[in-house]
Amino acid sequence: MNSPLYEYGLFGEGASLIVALVAGFFFGLFLERGGLGNPHKLTGVFYLKDFTVPKVMFTAMLVASSGLYLLGDLKLLDMTRLWIVPTFFWPQMVGGFLFGLGYLVAGYCPGTAVAGLGSGRIDALVTIFGMIAGSLLFAVVYPALEHFYMSSGLGTATLPSVLGVNHWVVIAFVVLMAGMMFYSMERFERKTH
Amino acid sequence: MEKNSFWSPYVSGIGLGLTLLATFYVMGKGLGASSAFSIVSAVATQKIDPEYAGGLEYFSRYLTGGSPLKDWMVFEILGLFVGALTGALISRSFRLKFDKPSHMTVGGRLFTALTGGILLGFAGRLARGCTSGVALTGGAQLAIAGWVFVIAMFVSGFIFAAVFRRMWS
Repeated sequence: MNSPLYEYGLFGEGASLIVALVAGFFFGLFLERGGLGNPHKLTGVFYLKDFTVPKVMFTAMLVASSGLYLLGDLKLLDMTRLWIVPTFFWPQMVGGFLFGLGYLVAGYCPGTAVAGLGSGRIDALVTIFGMIAGSLLFAVVYPALEHFYMSSGLGTATLPSVLGVNHWVVIAFVVLMAGMMFYSMERFERKTH
Repeated sequence: MEKNSFWSPYVSGIGLGLTLLATFYVMGKGLGASSAFSIVSAVATQKIDPEYAGGLEYFSRYLTGGSPLKDWMVFEILGLFVGALTGALISRSFRLKFDKPSHMTVGGRLFTALTGGILLGFAGRLARGCTSGVALTGGAQLAIAGWVFVIAMFVSGFIFAAVFRRMWS
């Protein structure tokens, strides 16, 4: 077991930036080609008109999730060296809620705004400037928010660890939910178009 | 509009998922987006008013090192832009335009694009990431963070779409 490659020192920081460019390239290519540089498609889900966002998102999540846990189970990837997204329950709940409003109003989220700009959309550049300003706003009010920002920390808690079940049980459940969701979306789209 | 020129969402989703999986394998972390704009924000603030930027505790996490822009996420975002540009060019769908709902004025769209962006920037910092870094990456790791964020984001989107019924439809 010698992966994650970077964590095992197979290449240095300079090379990691090239990896970043390559990973970003494919990230941007698949977002744009999936239609996720287009604010009409990006907001369509909230008006039950276009389900591209959940289709792309949950497909990607399931592919990465099953691949990741498979590599872990086969001892091809050292899961203890993987940086797991830390959970801070309430800040992420409130942040996610505010984020949903921002996404609807802007018509983009941060990554898709860059994809929108890449497809020639100038309004996406305005959103990018807004995000830079919004980050500054957060930094300015941070002292007042710090207590809340640091609250309800659960560390690297995952659904399998909290529920006390095997990760494949959770993945199977997500596959089932996503499958039912995709099926109803396809049916709904055929009916309304 | 370029209606049918996009790839199937499932094909794009598989491609995106494999990109994320490769990033896990190679880097030991996932993809992201919003922190790149937070770094740019910190660097821009420092350029304009170094003393003020130095007093902002939250930005100190980016500004203490030597060259804050030599960051993995900043480079990933540069790659994202080039990848999206390539996608738009190879499919001949690249158009320079100011995209907006047909009923909205240019001034109105400027306002929504900017205020929406401010909200995204702020909320992304509060949640420690966005659709990419928390929802997609965290969701794939089965981290609680990803699923809390994704549920809150969709619930909020549906609620506010009902409030602003004519914004995009």
